[in-house]
Amino acid sequence: MEFILNSMRKIDNDQAKEHAFGTEQSLEENLAICFINPKDFEKLKLVSSLQLKISNEEKYVIVKVEKDDNIPEGMVAMPVSIWSNRLSVVQNNELQTKNIVVNVEATHEPIMKFKEIIQELLVKK
Amino acid sequence: MKRFTCSGCSLLCDDIIVQSDGLFISEVIGACLKGKERFDLVSAKNRIISPLIRKDGELKEASWDEAIKKAIEIIKNSSIPLLYGFSNVSCEAQDAGIKLAQKIDGFIDSNASICQGKIFNKAKSLGINLTTITEIINKGDLIILWGANPAETVPRLLNKVLFSRGKFRMTGREIKTLVIVDPIKTASFRVMGVRDLPLIIEPNKDIDLIRMLKEECCTANSIPSQGVAGIDKNDLKRLLLHLTGAENGVIILGQGVIQPHPDYDLVEELLELLQMINKRQEKGRISLLIMGGHFNMAGFDHVALSAYGVSGHLEFKHNQMVKTEDTLVSKIEKEDFDSSIIVGTDPISHLPHSLSSKIAKKPLILIDNHSTATSHIADVVLPTAITGIESGGLAYRLDQVPIELNKLLNPPNNLPSDEELLNQLHGLLNKGGSE
Repeated sequence: MEFILNSMRKIDNDQAKEHAFGTEQSLEENLAICFINPKDFEKLKLVSSLQLKISNEEKYVIVKVEKDDNIPEGMVAMPVSIWSNRLSVVQNNELQTKNIVVNVEATHEPIMKFKEIIQELLVKK
Repeated sequence: MKRFTCSGCSLLCDDIIVQSDGLFISEVIGACLKGKERFDLVSAKNRIISPLIRKDGELKEASWDEAIKKAIEIIKNSSIPLLYGFSNVSCEAQDAGIKLAQKIDGFIDSNASICQGKIFNKAKSLGINLTTITEIINKGDLIILWGANPAETVPRLLNKVLFSRGKFRMTGREIKTLVIVDPIKTASFRVMGVRDLPLIIEPNKDIDLIRMLKEECCTANSIPSQGVAGIDKNDLKRLLLHLTGAENGVIILGQGVIQPHPDYDLVEELLELLQMINKRQEKGRISLLIMGGHFNMAGFDHVALSAYGVSGHLEFKHNQMVKTEDTLVSKIEKEDFDSSIIVGTDPISHLPHSLSSKIAKKPLILIDNHSTATSHIADVVLPTAITGIESGGLAYRLDQVPIELNKLLNPPNNLPSDEELLNQLHGLLNKGGSE
């Protein structure tokens, strides 16, 4: 299903705080997460044991999903993090971190681990 | 107990009360959650207090001599280094970073260039004046948050500009109207009262609203009955009345408005609207405030402007500044750099993967005080004191007002300040790279 991805700063899901004070587990719990409208939650036939796979031409991520009435239908919101930025894009030499068209689907696959992302980057070194 | 300035965010609150014996901080009064975290950073679990070097693929603790030697080796083997970050350090460190960039023929840029700096430069070119926090407290009667969510990014901003009583606004909140334009009902909406105007706009439709307002302000006299961009006609009428009737309005712009679009420039259109309103305004004016996250996001442009007459990024060749069409993003995208020196920021987390993967490929020196995604990728990590707590210096508040930050504690392990470390690298390179 096509959605619009918006990454946003959230005080309870703050990457600087997690990196400074958290553990790898809390980092993943608080940042490998997205928020969608409850109506979309139903449309996607999501249940608490399922994750959301969000993808575009750039990459994909698998993150935990939570319902949030404040998010409009058709939008998936993610806290700014290494997870959300796998999907952000460069357009005309500028960064686009909001209004990104993505595909979303429910999945049984586990959330993408922080180490997995870092390892993918280190391989290129 | 003493009054202290907080470096938790770009608001640089100077009314925080701190109790400290010079060794520990025992009490912090008046700080928000972000401010509290800044003070807690002193003893944070993931604080880095010893240098690290990558050996056999693993980051390992190293002596300062070893780490500095490795950093110098990376710099000397690099012909086009990229220096980036500098929004979480003092202006003195920014100046030292620019001098280092000049010495090593580097390209230097700050976080502001991918954030609020974009609005700052456009406002400057259009001749739009920015306002100050004090001005809004004293005179503001209309506050518009457009694509900005200060409740979660600059938490005390609304306390100061919306709830406080100013010299000419003694009734405070009662006569101030808050308008929020955002596609998401963010935490900032929670402070809204009955006379405020919450405008939930359809995603990516800000341009339709701005163009309608521009037309209404200057030529036409009708608002479409179906509304615009998901905003109802009556709300649009109220918005127009506020915009054209405010004595001292301010539009606070956030990250939501700086997204690129192939067909238009949203910031430019929004600033043109502001100019139109001000031309039409008979009794008042609308001004601008740009939100930034990091505590000295605004500083780098001021330092670069004072030192080289250019705001934003700088490029050096043969130790001289050269004109460049490049930006941070184009440099990384073209891979027109062969190493990077990252100062007080985390590009591996906050840049798109297409760019962060290119940074990760090249040798990377990180100067920072705590663990980040970038520290996991770095080849050398040089830890520094926390600016605004363990070292002092100048910083520019989000309204471009310079504020002096003070030292409260000595850093652990006698860590150098960012400025001292950057100057040390510069000094060693002057001497050929060895002490």
